[in-house]
Amino acid sequence: MKAICLASAMTVVLLALITFCFRLCPSAHRARQMLFVYLFCLAVLVALWFATPDDLGLLGRSLLTEPAWLDLAAMLFFFSAGFFGGALQLYNLCDRGFSLRILIDLLEAPIGAVDVDYLTANYSSGRGLVWMYRKRIDDIVAARFIDQVNKRIVLTAKGAMFADLFIHAHRVLGLEPPH
Amino acid sequence: MTSSPTLIALAAATSWFLVFFFAHVGGLRAGSENARWLLISYAACFLGAVVTAILLTAWHHGMQAVILAAMMAALTSACLFALYVPALYAVLTSLSVQTMMLLRHRGGALPEAELYDRFASRKIMEQRLATLLASGYVAPDGRSYRLTHRGRAIAKFFRPIKILWNLGPGG
Repeated sequence: MKAICLASAMTVVLLALITFCFRLCPSAHRARQMLFVYLFCLAVLVALWFATPDDLGLLGRSLLTEPAWLDLAAMLFFFSAGFFGGALQLYNLCDRGFSLRILIDLLEAPIGAVDVDYLTANYSSGRGLVWMYRKRIDDIVAARFIDQVNKRIVLTAKGAMFADLFIHAHRVLGLEPPH
Repeated sequence: MTSSPTLIALAAATSWFLVFFFAHVGGLRAGSENARWLLISYAACFLGAVVTAILLTAWHHGMQAVILAAMMAALTSACLFALYVPALYAVLTSLSVQTMMLLRHRGGALPEAELYDRFASRKIMEQRLATLLASGYVAPDGRSYRLTHRGRAIAKFFRPIKILWNLGPGG
């Protein structure tokens, strides 16, 4: 139970620190900024685990995890899942979610109902779909999955390896990859 | 040697998550609707994990250790699900992933214009609106679309987070 208590408390601290960083130290590389905050919190969390008693001074004997290493491992897993599956995904959804942005554009539209042409032209508060796709291309260029050569997009060796992985995942799920 | 309640809980959660994974993939392959099948199969396996952890712990360690085992099993299962869903949706819906797969399928290179025509056009907006329509987030209004109560609730929930985190319009 110590694992659950410490990981939960540190997840709240993590979210508060991320909010603080995003508001006071805005960066173009927010995901990297979040990763640094996560690593800092992870180090503090491990230190806290070693510094505190097994029962945290309040837990009953039946709530103590044995062996102790399992408690530490569970705490690291819970906290990491909270970051990679929780905070980081929340950020991804808010900052890059295509469907979510369409819903918000509909919410912010001057009239109650709008057509496809309006949504295409005014996607993301007027930036448009070309901006949206440019952002994705820039990101996968920066991650070295693709290159831009003479107005052509070329898959790198790293990109080809990951593309094979995704194609395989599609086939496992019984879906036809795009072609 | 008797396993600790935590070990029992972790083993139960992991085993049931594997059951969920195979059930989910099997359902998708059989043509089930993804989001609905994902939730139904996960809810069943989550219950399975918690009940298994409770029963095994009660049998080996008595009732006093059941709370710890149940909480550990529930949280482990939830964490595995939280890691699985984003990976699944990246494979299923990410435009970056689809771009890379398309490039691989078409020999590793394509003109920029062709990619923009495919992924930044009216057609992709129509496809996504069809998904939102099927999920009940938008409703048709003549040739236009409007938000349903469900879609409005989602948009209103996430907009303050975007403002709090200073993210700008994004998308």
